[in-house]
Amino acid sequence: MRKRSWLGIGLAALAGVIGIGALVAPVPAPAQGEVYSVWLVESSRFMGVPMGAFMPDRAFVPGSTSPMNNVNTVDLPVNVGVIKGNKEVILYDSGWKQQDYFKMTGTEHAAPLPEQLKLLGINAADVTKIVIGHGHWDHAGQLMDFPNAVLYVQREELKGIEWALNYPNPKIAAVNTSPGGCNRSPACGYPPKTLDEIYGKVLSGKAVIVDGEMEIAPGVKIHPAHRAHTAGSQLLEVPTAIGKLMFGSDAYSSWEGIRDWMVANIQQTDTVQQFLAYEKCYKVTGGYQNCVAAHEPLSYTDKYPLTKNSWTGPNGSRMAEITLAPGEKSRKP
Amino acid sequence: MDNGRTETPAAMGATGLGAPALPARAPGRRPPIKAALFGAVLLALLAIVALASFREASAPGSRTSRPALAAPRPALTAAEEQYALTLWPIHNEVKAGALKMTLGGLSYKLGELDRAGLKARVEASAETYRAAAARIAALSPPPSLAGAHQMYAEAVRLYQQSAAEMLRTAGDGRDEHLVAAHPLSMEASERLLKVGDVLWPGEYKPN
Repeated sequence: MRKRSWLGIGLAALAGVIGIGALVAPVPAPAQGEVYSVWLVESSRFMGVPMGAFMPDRAFVPGSTSPMNNVNTVDLPVNVGVIKGNKEVILYDSGWKQQDYFKMTGTEHAAPLPEQLKLLGINAADVTKIVIGHGHWDHAGQLMDFPNAVLYVQREELKGIEWALNYPNPKIAAVNTSPGGCNRSPACGYPPKTLDEIYGKVLSGKAVIVDGEMEIAPGVKIHPAHRAHTAGSQLLEVPTAIGKLMFGSDAYSSWEGIRDWMVANIQQTDTVQQFLAYEKCYKVTGGYQNCVAAHEPLSYTDKYPLTKNSWTGPNGSRMAEITLAPGEKSRKP
Repeated sequence: MDNGRTETPAAMGATGLGAPALPARAPGRRPPIKAALFGAVLLALLAIVALASFREASAPGSRTSRPALAAPRPALTAAEEQYALTLWPIHNEVKAGALKMTLGGLSYKLGELDRAGLKARVEASAETYRAAAARIAALSPPPSLAGAHQMYAEAVRLYQQSAAEMLRTAGDGRDEHLVAAHPLSMEASERLLKVGDVLWPGEYKPN
């Protein structure tokens, strides 16, 4: 009787461990089907951003010894995903062009994306598709530098800007909110040039306006995440040899936020929608390890394991080789 | 240090400091296993500490590493500040007009707006540009900002030209006018950013 109860406890514990493992471990890619190579490129870095402005739950408390509240400022990378396979080179987000805004934002390590891609052996003309996680200036710039790329943007994103601009209340319609600055009104993050670039893709017949979900290449799927950062935010699922990855742009501003269930980079964000976007990553990839964040301060270090295989590129910007498809050569110097 | 010699208690206590004498080792005896293990563990720990320190120091983007920031620019003079403040509300109108005009073109291309709708949108923005141009012409910038003033005025002129091209599409339905209008708008938007970089360096926040 005693033996049987110990056996039962042991079996239950084993089942529990297996169950937790199944929940936490990334879901391996199916043996059949396309897998892609993936790199992460740092378009620029915003220096010295107050932690509380990035993650309210982790606002700096002077004298605190808690790791949750003892970080005063953080340097935020602006990450761009580079996805290659099945005769496609897909960018997830396109960063921004440094010469336009360089002095405006306390930015360091900005580099032109075409120059960074060259280090990966990719020419700008080779890029076939660009999926913008949302249309803010630091994620949807440089579009005209990729003349052959087809842009994917959610219709809801464009509608959201239009709605805000034409709203009768000037506090909502504002494109500038305070003398000399544009904070977080709905249209603030879209300078005319950024929208001009999106329009340029539409004019040249190289844009797809997405309504909700869409598969843009075998296994590569857009998932809507409306209001998870802006009105028309979207995620991108990518099958790879290390399991599925989920790119989130600013819906996934912080990887630690996904891990610890904390909101980050609140803009036109419904926090429930941001958490649902986190949940989507858990469901699709099997955990939080394969969620690709746009501004995670730990990017390119061992502390964000997915991005640890990194090196330094032009102007001190960083790059990481996340995974390689079979037959693909490493680009790491 | 073990050099294989026999050390007697007398020899070991010969310092005269009254240290207690240790028992002599047997000739040829090896160091005890415990001491060897302790030494090995200590060496391993030291190696780990050294490696960790090196990796921490060389880790890119570590929160403790902070590259030197660019030197801050000198503040605007009182006259420059006044000019920036005066131009700011005009800038609001121009930006909003430009965004609405672009969205008008977008909606037209996406089939969500007909030619009459496009005409109404673009005419509204054109009126915004006309009013802005008049207000800008009335400004007297300090000499140090004459270049920025000129650039802003030119940006508004480019938007006006772009609007005129787009209105031709509203008239004849030919998309080639939209294509011709686009680089004019792009150039105007670029100039707004360049002027903004001088007058309102905090205009766009990381987002």
